[in-house]
Amino acid sequence: MLSENEVKILEYLKKVKEDTAENISKQLNIPIETVFSISQLLKEKGYITVEEEKITKYELTDEGKERLQNGLPEEILVNTLGGKEAKIQDVKDKLGKDFEIAIGWAKRKGLIKIEKDSIIPLVQHYEAKEEKEALLKPETAKKEILQELLSRKFLVKKEEKTSRLKLIKEEIEIKPAITFLTPELLASGEWRKYSLKEYNVEAYPPFYPLGRKHFFKEFLERLKDIMKELGFKEFYSDYVEIEFYNFDLLFQAQDHPAREIHDSFSIPGEGKLQDERLVEKVKEMHENGWKYKWDKKIATRLMLRSQTTATTARILASKPTPPLRAFTIGKVFRPDSIDATHLIEFHQLDGLVIEEDFTFRDLLGTLKEIFSRIGIKEIKFKPAYFPFTEPSVEVYGKIEGLGWVEMCGAGLLRPEILRAVEINSPAGAWGIGIDRLAMLLFGLKDIRLLYSNDVEYLRNRKVDMNAYD
Amino acid sequence: MPTINVYKWRLLNELKINESKLEDLLFNLKSEMKPIDQDHIEIEINNDRPDLLFVYGIIRAIKGLLKRELGEAKYPVKSTDYSFEIKEVKSRPYALAAIIEGIKLDDELLKELIQFQEKLHITIGRKRKKVAIGLHDLRKIDSKKILYTTVDLNYKFVPLNSTKEMTVKEVLESTEQGKEYGNISLFDGKMPAIMQDDGQILSLPPVINSEKTRIETSTTDLFIDVTGTSLDAVISTLDILVTNLAEMGGKIGEVKVISPYTDKSPILRHNKIAISVDYINKVLGTNLQKEEIIEYLKMARFDVNDLGKEIEVIIPPYRVDILAPIDLTEEVAMTVGYSNLTPSPYKIESIGSLSDKTKVTRLIRDLSIGASFTEIFTFVLTNDSLLKGEYAKISNPVTIDYDAVRNSLIPTMLQFLSKNQHSRMPIRVFEVGEVVVKSEDGETGYKNRLNAVYAIMNSKVSFEDLQSPVHYILTSLGLEVEYRREKNYYLIEGRTAGIYSKGKMIGLIGEVKPEILEELKIKYPIIISEIYLDEIEKLL
Repeated sequence: MLSENEVKILEYLKKVKEDTAENISKQLNIPIETVFSISQLLKEKGYITVEEEKITKYELTDEGKERLQNGLPEEILVNTLGGKEAKIQDVKDKLGKDFEIAIGWAKRKGLIKIEKDSIIPLVQHYEAKEEKEALLKPETAKKEILQELLSRKFLVKKEEKTSRLKLIKEEIEIKPAITFLTPELLASGEWRKYSLKEYNVEAYPPFYPLGRKHFFKEFLERLKDIMKELGFKEFYSDYVEIEFYNFDLLFQAQDHPAREIHDSFSIPGEGKLQDERLVEKVKEMHENGWKYKWDKKIATRLMLRSQTTATTARILASKPTPPLRAFTIGKVFRPDSIDATHLIEFHQLDGLVIEEDFTFRDLLGTLKEIFSRIGIKEIKFKPAYFPFTEPSVEVYGKIEGLGWVEMCGAGLLRPEILRAVEINSPAGAWGIGIDRLAMLLFGLKDIRLLYSNDVEYLRNRKVDMNAYD
Repeated sequence: MPTINVYKWRLLNELKINESKLEDLLFNLKSEMKPIDQDHIEIEINNDRPDLLFVYGIIRAIKGLLKRELGEAKYPVKSTDYSFEIKEVKSRPYALAAIIEGIKLDDELLKELIQFQEKLHITIGRKRKKVAIGLHDLRKIDSKKILYTTVDLNYKFVPLNSTKEMTVKEVLESTEQGKEYGNISLFDGKMPAIMQDDGQILSLPPVINSEKTRIETSTTDLFIDVTGTSLDAVISTLDILVTNLAEMGGKIGEVKVISPYTDKSPILRHNKIAISVDYINKVLGTNLQKEEIIEYLKMARFDVNDLGKEIEVIIPPYRVDILAPIDLTEEVAMTVGYSNLTPSPYKIESIGSLSDKTKVTRLIRDLSIGASFTEIFTFVLTNDSLLKGEYAKISNPVTIDYDAVRNSLIPTMLQFLSKNQHSRMPIRVFEVGEVVVKSEDGETGYKNRLNAVYAIMNSKVSFEDLQSPVHYILTSLGLEVEYRREKNYYLIEGRTAGIYSKGKMIGLIGEVKPEILEELKIKYPIIISEIYLDEIEKLL
């Protein structure tokens, strides 16, 4: 593969067979340093030989420069005489220190003769043409003239080294190299005239921003798929909720400690409750169950939902016809100090089954199946308390290296709630905290990495083939 | 959930079991334990079981599970000649009292008794608002006639842990308890007080007792007062207290009460709930026989009458959590042991389905990855300084960094980019996420909306660098798209377009204003686009 300059030099040499580096530089207008380096490359590739050669150079001396400008002494002498005889002493006065030289060279060149004390010119005018041309271009001057100029110290001789490039490989097809193939080159077939430059294929490439899905979002989507595969229908509800759906419908007494201000985020303003019949039934449920005066105003306070059970409550309030298997995955919000294991917003997966003859053992079976599909094969059930379920259960899952971890709260909905929403079949419900589970399954030390604001973390995260097994 | 610290050896010695057995038994009582030191453990108690907030309540329950004692624990009640007269106390109308005799306290047990009182204050007492308890050394009371009444703020007594007499006002202003609880029941310049008929104050509920009746390890007999705003809660609290102390070995003494609602206390209420074998089996999915169920209920410390078709269950006074047959069903399940209830094999009955939101999210994510954008995941909560227009503001934020709910994905995206200026360029990122906007449609006045946001940050970036991928993502969905000049708070005028389809605005694209970049200390230009997926969903 030859570069553009290599090709130029070879083509030149094809014509002249050999030449010095200097000449090639002048002829092809390539800097001499480039010619030197290319000559080495071409020699290595076997196209040329490179011989070191001495070349002689002549340089004007200061005197030479002066004579070239003002004329040679013999010229001045002849032209001073102007074809007339003159006294030696007069001429000597005019020419000064050059007099002897002028007389000597004029006599030698037969321009004058000396008689007694007079100089007699033999020519009218004289110009030392040959000498002056030789001073300008010493390389092309006659040997005797050069010799004369050297002896008169108008020139000095200098010897330099140069390279002589000789073509030795004539029968080669020389193609210039290009970097890019273009549609034009391909269409015209011109590409045949070029060779393609080599790339440094062993070097690392520059950065490329890859399109990648977020690992935790993928985990959430995988959970949705699991629930769908199990025959559940997905539901959604909004973040801003009235306390009614987050608490009251779920049989959480209005003065229950979990409803205190520091346990949920409140939003200014007041909501509405339109289903008067439902409101009446929920009021009755509270006043009979917890023996206090239920206040609708508290139920319509605005908050950010603190559990996705609020979505379950909304499904219940819509009085669905059984059988129903429903789920939702969404954000919930709880005041807390943010650290490696706590966030103030995180995800829950809430599920609801309303079915004729649905039993507590069916609920346990459902939970077991869900956790098994998530990848938690070993679980145990612990009795628990939630205001809206009875019997209630907490699911503990075994995580390698950590032991038993609480993962889910569940239970059969209390009959009081089912009566309030006028559903006659039993119902099971559960809520699974997702973020901490994901943190454990991904082996993260800090839960905040699920929401990393470092794009490099997202770019560099290894994609795990077995992540969702 | 409340926790109590317990002297471990009392529990293990009384029950004659080892620690790991104790742990198992507590697990089945909804509780967990963890060691504090060699002699003490911390036990977590569920909110529904205030009767377990004292070690003797735990002992009573476990004795049942171990079948050492079955059925309800019976505590004899003897009458006494003490009377308790209830006057009108508007802010805190209900009060009851009881006497306990013959208890033996030591340092540990005294500590645990005070802890029991405090935990009842927090849970069932709702931080003393609903119920407050006074425990007095009966031997230090010099009268048999006790009154519940109100006193003026200049009334004097010596409060607990003090040596000098103080006025009620001083107590409220200068003691720790006074400052914390003084406001709860102060009404019309008067405080509720429990006093002897000679005027000596025994306690100032719900604030503080008097030093006079301080209980000590030498105390053997107690006078207990319970005051509150809910008669039901006052009755339950006193019942829970006296039955626990009776389990400890004390004898319950009845006090004559002069009030409109009862003439003696403690009331030791017993409810009866009838339950059928079928019901329990139907709820649990079990096939338990009546005899087994009766045995399990007795292990759970209930007395039971076999009525033939049904079982009548007597609810002891301290089991305030048992409201209905379903609660007894759970008792049976817990006594059987959840680990003995085999989970039913799961049966897939119907085909599940995903919501349209999920479906559209997935389409957009796939296309966005195809356009080589990296997906990010930011918080919904943010600082409100960058939000424009109406949004949901949090009244009680924990930090100003998260004091509002975003109403657009642009601010959270810009914040993300501001933290990535040292990353390799270009940064091409996107997010599909929810925002909350004002809406008069629903019950809350707010609504979630599903949006997508795209951004490119680089040392040089053009409008078209982002418009191209966004355009072809949208047209891939089959949408016909047009662009119209638009103005936006975050975006440079003349470099901003609304994205429309079928006359509806479905998104926005433009270059971020240098003022905004400066505010966020961002040193690179950004092109950003927000797409309204709810609008798109309607067009698909």
